[in-house]
Amino acid sequence: MPQPTKTESGVPPWGVFPSAASSFLRDLPILLAGLAIFYGLLTFARYGVGPVNTQAEINLHPGALPKYAFFSVARIALAYILSLGFTLVYGYVAAYNAKAERIMVPLLDILQSIPVLSFLPPVMLAMIGLFPHSQLGAELGAIVLIMTGQVWNMTFSFYSSLKNIPREMHEAAEIYRLKWWQRLWQMELPYAAIGLIWNSIMSVAGAWFFLMACEMFVLGDRDLRLPGLGSYLQTAANAGDTRSIIWGLGTMVAIIVMIDQLIWRPTIAWAEKFKFEQVESAEPARSPILDLLRRSKLISAAARVTTKPAREALNLYFAKAGAKQSQHARSGMLSGWIWRVLMLVALVAIAYAVLGMGRMLVALSGAEIREILRGAGATFLRVEVTLVLAGLWTIPVGVYVGMRPNLSALVQPLAQIAASVPATALFPVVLLMLIRVGGGMGIGAMVLLLLGTQWYILFNVIAGSSAIPTDLKEVCGLFRLGKVERWKKLILPAIFPYLITGFITASGGAWNASIVAEYFHFQGKTMSTVGLGAVISRATDTGNFHVLLAATIVMAVMVVTLNRLIWRRLYGLASTKFKLET
Amino acid sequence: MNPPGADKVSEMLSQGHWDQAVALLQQLDPAAAADAIMDLPFEEQRVLFRVMPVDFAALLIGHFPYYHSYVLLHTRSLESLRAIIGKMGPDQRAQFLDQLPGEAWKRVMDEISGEYSPANQGVDAAAADAAGAISHPIPAVEPILEAVQVEKSFRQPDGRLIQVIAPTDLSIEPDTITALLGPSGSGKSTLLRMLTGLIQPTKGLVLWHGKPLQDCAPNLAIVFQSFALFPWLTVLDNVETPLLARGMEHFERHHRALRALHTVGLEGFESAYPKELSGGMKQRVGIARALALEPEILFMDEPFSALDVLTAENLRGEVMELWLGKKIPTKSIFIVTHNIEEAALLADRILVLGRNPGRIRADFRIPLKQPRDRNSAEFLVYVDYIYKLMTQPDLDPALPSSAAHAVKTPYPMLPHARPGGIAGLLELLIDRGGKDDLFRVADELLLDVNDLLPITEAATLLGFARTEKGDVEITEKGREFSNADISTRKDLFREAALAHASLLQQIKTGLSSKSDGAMPLEFFRDILDEHFSEDETERQIQTALTWGRYGEIFSYDSATDRLSLHRLEHTGESEHDLQHQE
Repeated sequence: MPQPTKTESGVPPWGVFPSAASSFLRDLPILLAGLAIFYGLLTFARYGVGPVNTQAEINLHPGALPKYAFFSVARIALAYILSLGFTLVYGYVAAYNAKAERIMVPLLDILQSIPVLSFLPPVMLAMIGLFPHSQLGAELGAIVLIMTGQVWNMTFSFYSSLKNIPREMHEAAEIYRLKWWQRLWQMELPYAAIGLIWNSIMSVAGAWFFLMACEMFVLGDRDLRLPGLGSYLQTAANAGDTRSIIWGLGTMVAIIVMIDQLIWRPTIAWAEKFKFEQVESAEPARSPILDLLRRSKLISAAARVTTKPAREALNLYFAKAGAKQSQHARSGMLSGWIWRVLMLVALVAIAYAVLGMGRMLVALSGAEIREILRGAGATFLRVEVTLVLAGLWTIPVGVYVGMRPNLSALVQPLAQIAASVPATALFPVVLLMLIRVGGGMGIGAMVLLLLGTQWYILFNVIAGSSAIPTDLKEVCGLFRLGKVERWKKLILPAIFPYLITGFITASGGAWNASIVAEYFHFQGKTMSTVGLGAVISRATDTGNFHVLLAATIVMAVMVVTLNRLIWRRLYGLASTKFKLET
Repeated sequence: MNPPGADKVSEMLSQGHWDQAVALLQQLDPAAAADAIMDLPFEEQRVLFRVMPVDFAALLIGHFPYYHSYVLLHTRSLESLRAIIGKMGPDQRAQFLDQLPGEAWKRVMDEISGEYSPANQGVDAAAADAAGAISHPIPAVEPILEAVQVEKSFRQPDGRLIQVIAPTDLSIEPDTITALLGPSGSGKSTLLRMLTGLIQPTKGLVLWHGKPLQDCAPNLAIVFQSFALFPWLTVLDNVETPLLARGMEHFERHHRALRALHTVGLEGFESAYPKELSGGMKQRVGIARALALEPEILFMDEPFSALDVLTAENLRGEVMELWLGKKIPTKSIFIVTHNIEEAALLADRILVLGRNPGRIRADFRIPLKQPRDRNSAEFLVYVDYIYKLMTQPDLDPALPSSAAHAVKTPYPMLPHARPGGIAGLLELLIDRGGKDDLFRVADELLLDVNDLLPITEAATLLGFARTEKGDVEITEKGREFSNADISTRKDLFREAALAHASLLQQIKTGLSSKSDGAMPLEFFRDILDEHFSEDETERQIQTALTWGRYGEIFSYDSATDRLSLHRLEHTGESEHDLQHQE
């Protein structure tokens, strides 16, 4: 996985939010709305009972791997296309419709904090309910599920890019009467491209992380499995078949490296031209593949007869078609009574859902509530301890590497390959080793969280410390600052913004990963430890919907609260007080 | 008693629907329509009469009392005055002319016969005034664009309304370069954006060839201060963008763009990207993009202020050459600038904008021949005159004292100058024998007025200098300050600041009244918010902090956002303070 730089990582654009404390109360209805949507899907799922024939036998022979790999890649690709479509529409509406924006942005924040696997039962059962007699339902379910894991940060990125387009550029577009089509292709998409690409890379990496969970799971009395790399690995882990695990893992790493080289690197190099800079950068990203494509006569000839005339025709069509339409049409799309009716319908739906949720939550037994709260506490501690542990080793190592350009040129690519292996796929191997040395699931969960999240911090620390200006380092030398002083006065404040960015990404990832980390089917047994993730996973497995709902609410509320009370404040501090301005 | 329709008309006007109001009046009986118009405030009558078609005006004009008809007719240009009188019914025309007193009759006859010219209006205007008529000279030519009583207010987050532009009349005539000159924060940009239709005036109307701007597709272009080019498009594509938006076919688009690039001397750079170009070249692209549209009015928003002095000089000269050689297809240029010399060099007509709220303080022509010699005596006289206008914000040469009542006493503003800058100016003055021409001082320092004026204003406010007729002279106090050592300087500065700067007095009094001598900065921010826009408040606060800290009047802790009379302990906190001060 190429390393995202600070501004391009998946941190939501918190600058656009009002201050933390005051906005929390106001956003409460939106929180309820987000949960209501989730509940709606869930209820639908409960009725969506139909015959299912999706219990593919997973063949552990390595010869079956290419087919499985293809299925998985296709699923991720389809999910990505869906995510992109959703991102463009949602981001566009949220950025340009002020009324919708007030609801859509906080809603996105809530949706983002709902763990991926909590979407599993509602999404899956809904899709199977829609297509009860074909494979399609389960397949669509898996695809939508993968999408719920990758879409939110892309949407955030696109939305904040649109909001950040410089004012004079907007004015130029308006004064020169660019129609929406031309604006989209000549201004908005190019401006958003780089952020969108980096977030796409992160999203697809996230999809690999949750692939195993999305392709094979138990849901109540149903045992669903779809042919794919994820289910291959899962089956191999269940059987304790080390050889197959290694085959599957190797295939996965190979595919990830291939996608990186064949798709992401050329895309990043191509996107160089979208950098919003006034001066050309010294070291633009390069890709031999892109050079190959650019030099290809065949491709340029094909473009000459296909895309270029098509682009011209479309541009002219929209320029002429839009000529009569006034400029203010798009802000007035959802005006007047249509908006009011929509709001009313939404309010009724929310009220109904809240009522339904209330009824469902009343069914909780005292023991279940205790289990959820105990789990929440345990997972909270686990996540925070993981972050501390990750920080303890990544900060010194990252600073050591970052301050030495030669070393970091050597270490970065290796670390990137290591980071690109989804931690979930490594999990069976880790568990095998732990069991051999006598460790339990409690330690295993932490190792998995660590494996999944430490990279974000490491890369950010390296980036931060390599960005420390030389003159500041020289000043420290000149004044003969001791080691401790140097860390206190220079290094820690300088890497602070990067560190916070890394921690925010890592924290979000860790909460989400806790669901796969605390509960695992392995060698025919179910291994689990105390934790909120385990509660959610078990509730999914046993079809215990009211526990699933309650635990999801608790997790969403905890994540949102932590973000608002701690991370967003630190982020604000990082972007004001500790910003190194040049 | 209200005539039927009058209420409806005034309601429409208050919403800015001038065209609808005219349409409604056209449905009424002419006599009733005239009654309805007479019921409106005069300013609205004037605008309404301007925007109505000639035929309708001719139908109505006989129904007003003759003196009122006379005044209304003279709100229109000479051409349309002739057309309206020409289209009146013969009886009505005879009756109207018969009723006019001698002087007024003679003037109207002259105007109809074409013997009247604005050149000898001085004599006639007195006569017309005697007849109880008009004070404005009639524009001889129909202006391309005209703003009638435009006004802009912005709503603060807390609901208060801040007026940025007071009701303003303004017209742009063909074959003229008009410069809009004003200090920062006077709303130049806001006014330009209202004139171009980028933002809607809160009240009033912008007319494009006599029709409301939003109903036309005005052929105008803007050259932006930040260039506002699309960095991902080549130079040629950037210039083609507005042409494509108008649906121009490929061949013609290409042809026109190349011609525009040739005009600004950029042939050979068609396939370059903006980031490969220097600032001056980028602005050439911006100008070519505007010229390719062959706009009737070319708006330029501080087009040269992002460039270095020499580049700006060169480009300015080239633009003038193109304009004087009629090599650019625009009828009129409207340039916004804060650079006095630039305005005096380029403009046929200068509008000086005053601030708080923004309003036109002076509107005069510069009859000097082009190209102008910046060292000629006449030129220096004009520059000096403008300096005088700008250094004496209280002096209001444009408004007779009776008209000033509408402007409420503004809250005294702190000029945004740093103590170091003030000391530097004083030292320079001592070197120059204690007194010098502001224009020469600016020239010497390679500063433009925007940077120098706040410094002289601050020195004057503190009693360290006085300005008179474009000269600045150091006072006794100023000498004392300049010759003192650093701690005496601070004492003198504190004394002067507390004696003359009301914001600092207010802060000091506020802090002294508290037992602990400390208050949140937010408190003073709230007070300022009532008088200034959000940005200006922030600038006022920043200046007050700089002054207060320099004069050791109070200390400020950014972590707690509190002001305090006590010195901070010398801990980590005060170090941050020092950092902030830079």
